[in-house]
Amino acid sequence: MIASIIWGIVGMLVGVIIATQLSWWEMNGKFLETISFGLFKGEGLQYITFGRLRPLHTNAVIFAFVGNMMFAGVYYSTQRLCKARMGSDFLSRLHFWGWQLIIVAAAITLPAGLTRGKEYAELIWPINVCVALIWVVFAINFFLTLHRRNEPSLYVALWFYIATIITIAMLYIVNHLSIPTSLIHSYPIFGGLQDGLVQWWYGHNAVAFFLTTPILGIMYYFLPKAANRPVYSYRLSIIHFWSLVFIYIWAGPHHLLNTDLPRWLQTLGMLFSLMLWAPSWGGMLNGLLTLRGGWAQLRTDPVIKFFAAGITFYGMATFEGPLLSIRAVNAISHYTDWTIGHVHAGALGWNGFMAAALFYWLAPRLWKTKLWSTSLANMHFWIGIVGILLYVAAMWTAGIMQALMLNQTNDAGTTLKYEFVETLKAIHVEYFLRSIGGTLYLIGFILCGVNIWMTARSGVATNDTVEVAALPREKKDFMKWSETLLNDPISYIFMGVVLVCLWFFLPPHANVGALVAAILLSIKAVLAFRKNSKPWMVWHERLIENYIPFTFLVVISVAIGGALQIIPSLIVNRDKNIEGRLQELYTPLELAGRDLYISEGCYNCHSQMIRTLVPDVMRYGRPGITDDYSHLGESIYDHPYQWGSKRTGPDLAREGGAIAVGAKNMRIGKRDNVWHFNHFLNPRQLNVDSNMPNYPWLFDKKTDFKSLPKKIAVQTQIGVPWPALTKDEIEQNAREQALEISENLVKGGVYLEGAKDKDGSPLQGAELRNYLAEREVIAMIAYIQKLGAYKEVKKAGEDKPTPLDPDTYRKAAMPVTETPPAPATTP
Amino acid sequence: MSDSSQQPKRGDFAKHAGEVILREHEFDGIQEFDQKLPNWWLYTFYGAIIFFGIYWFTYYQAHGLVADHDRIISAMTAINQKKNQELETTLATLDDKMLINTWSTDPSIVANGEAIYTTNCVACHAADLSGVMMVGEQKIPLPGRPLTDGKWEYGHKPMELFKLVNEGSPAAAPGYNGAKMQAWAQTLTPKQVAEVVAFIISKNPQEFPPVP
Repeated sequence: MIASIIWGIVGMLVGVIIATQLSWWEMNGKFLETISFGLFKGEGLQYITFGRLRPLHTNAVIFAFVGNMMFAGVYYSTQRLCKARMGSDFLSRLHFWGWQLIIVAAAITLPAGLTRGKEYAELIWPINVCVALIWVVFAINFFLTLHRRNEPSLYVALWFYIATIITIAMLYIVNHLSIPTSLIHSYPIFGGLQDGLVQWWYGHNAVAFFLTTPILGIMYYFLPKAANRPVYSYRLSIIHFWSLVFIYIWAGPHHLLNTDLPRWLQTLGMLFSLMLWAPSWGGMLNGLLTLRGGWAQLRTDPVIKFFAAGITFYGMATFEGPLLSIRAVNAISHYTDWTIGHVHAGALGWNGFMAAALFYWLAPRLWKTKLWSTSLANMHFWIGIVGILLYVAAMWTAGIMQALMLNQTNDAGTTLKYEFVETLKAIHVEYFLRSIGGTLYLIGFILCGVNIWMTARSGVATNDTVEVAALPREKKDFMKWSETLLNDPISYIFMGVVLVCLWFFLPPHANVGALVAAILLSIKAVLAFRKNSKPWMVWHERLIENYIPFTFLVVISVAIGGALQIIPSLIVNRDKNIEGRLQELYTPLELAGRDLYISEGCYNCHSQMIRTLVPDVMRYGRPGITDDYSHLGESIYDHPYQWGSKRTGPDLAREGGAIAVGAKNMRIGKRDNVWHFNHFLNPRQLNVDSNMPNYPWLFDKKTDFKSLPKKIAVQTQIGVPWPALTKDEIEQNAREQALEISENLVKGGVYLEGAKDKDGSPLQGAELRNYLAEREVIAMIAYIQKLGAYKEVKKAGEDKPTPLDPDTYRKAAMPVTETPPAPATTP
Repeated sequence: MSDSSQQPKRGDFAKHAGEVILREHEFDGIQEFDQKLPNWWLYTFYGAIIFFGIYWFTYYQAHGLVADHDRIISAMTAINQKKNQELETTLATLDDKMLINTWSTDPSIVANGEAIYTTNCVACHAADLSGVMMVGEQKIPLPGRPLTDGKWEYGHKPMELFKLVNEGSPAAAPGYNGAKMQAWAQTLTPKQVAEVVAFIISKNPQEFPPVP
């Protein structure tokens, strides 16, 4: 191993990666426009409705754009920081082409309506398997490089890369656990609140470990390189790295605040988000303060400009994040465009600008030339900044204004002032401004593409080789497991975490004991550190010379938070423990409708969750029922859960209703079948200001009855208590219900232009009924009319403390409050 | 970092001399300072951790904050009580005569009623109250009953209309082709319900002759 080792650039490889990123970004920009304009295109292609394109937009930005940019940064910097060629050129190529193939597959399947219905995890299961395999390829390649490094110590950028690779693998696999019903469809094994919990454990940490940690790693390598300044503080790197990877995982439930999610989970989500503020800002400080003494370059060097602005946006977004996690603020921001503004500050400001900085720095070096045009890069910068600010400010205004309007009551405070659609109409101006902002940003990025292209043309792609001295084996990776684990810092931290968790979960009195012990332990730890911190520091210095023990500790840190939130919930919040309301099972036809709802991406604009907030209950609850928020039991059999994350349209949790008088299976909810029929045809017939797309193809395409038995079999496997039905019974049941609804529609006098017989005269009576019964729209109506149906269940021993559920401890310890008197009805 | 155990020593020396510490090692030309952490940053972090302890303790041990379920139930109970009072007050002052003679002839009340109708009712009853929508040449019945055909399924007295709008179609009724109207008390105040009834009366003058 004394031979020289390649220390090089994977020239063409990375070059092509950048090229793809740019082309993907252009794609995304188009969707940005579509978000606002596409809504109004209405009748037209089913493939470009918002519900289908929004997942494509998010997937393309996260996995295609940031993913490829991250891989470029990781491949370039890792080889230099390790003074070693990537583990295997074959794996590098496999990784690259595999990833591009996945992106192409995503771009085909998502518009086709093939989706799992979970945000940022929409891709169907065969693609999931490919993603996991390619990620493993990346991991093997990366760790092989670490293994063969000729540099004893791991630089901070590599810490962040390690955390990224490990955590994304964990999150991705758990959140994609599903059972297939066919090659293109599957049901996630988690349902209801647990699916929500797993989903946002994944969703939030995809932001953390896909959009944040790898970019921080890239910042730690490329920023000091570009600025030619030392990193501000090594110890800040240590503190903020470990606190970030440990704390981030816990914050997921802040996406489910003010729902009926157990309060202890909400509390953890909120408080850990607040604690996350400082570690995030640690990264920002280390970035910005590294520029100290180098600020003059800001005037001349576009790379530094982009870095400085990107890091500043990071600071802004990570301040906003904890703010939005406060339950009271979240009551306003959640389900509105404020959240959209927040994520775009991060995606456009932080990811987009960091990417630009990386490209502008990398391109001249990869092609051994100079940047084609500095002034074009500057122009990109300013157009981009204006674009982001327009976009974000418009979304802030829209979000806050809409939330305030939705919450506004009439003078007496007994009814709400505005209909949902009125609030939508009020923010049209902001939607227009946001499109302008998004377009400006896109133009900036096209300039970037041109610039990089011209730069590449002016040079020659190079594959540098540098000779380095090989590192003797004993200089690295020498740490024994006992040394890794049995030492002061690990013991104190481990015991501290255990005690704090006992404080959460132990029954009353014992939990206070755990708290006291935790406080005493922290004091002792602080004293021990103050007295002699040297062994702690030496240990960490040695730790970063050993990649396997380091990785092991990262795994432990990121695993704790999710495990302690998800496992207790899996044990406690099950249907057999549910109090009060338990979801009515779907009929086969309603299940078919539900799969259509998911496939059309309805959840992108409609929530099914009435939060425990007065305006939500007033708007979406039923009259006279005081606790008519969505209870956990109402969605417990929903695989996947459909609580939603944004209300571009109103909530649908109580849209359904009871079985109609004299009907077998047909239900009539808040609105009747004819209303829904007309509404799916053209929402503007019923509501002039609606921005929902028309869904004409639902009236054309036939419901897939044949796949139902397999789907129901899989649902039974994952714990939905379907009654035993044969294949024929399932299909018969579905068809009967479809006929019942169609009969009702025909009686209501619906008219469908496309429904004609051979002679071209419109279908009538029974013929029209039979025609309609086959169509998807009937299944969809059946599902909508079922939403929110539940039965009351009473369990003995209510209010008894349940292990692993802090809320029941509290309830049991509180004095019993009188149930309020039932509200009087109108005379 | 050829000899990592030297690192703290060097650090100590620099600290002693009041100098900023630049670490010995460099990675691909990148050097690192080892600056002390800014105090305001540290206190933000400590503050968040302490707030964690205080908040959790307040809620779970001191039982200091109200649980969401209790809060929402008491708030909604108060609102419902107020609503009932409002309704009682309205009903105490409102009768058929007043709705026909006074309310339905007052242009500003009728205008309010029309605005409410336009926002909430046209989807089912059509803008011209016909209960029919036109798609091209095709007449398509809407879910709601026509309000100008002189038929009043649930009673034709103004106060009966008021009750119908306020509470929705009677629970036992089969509805109009199965379609049933929702209880508008959820969305509208009693005054608004009366206004929209006044608007409907004003559109059917022959049905509701002035009450002597």
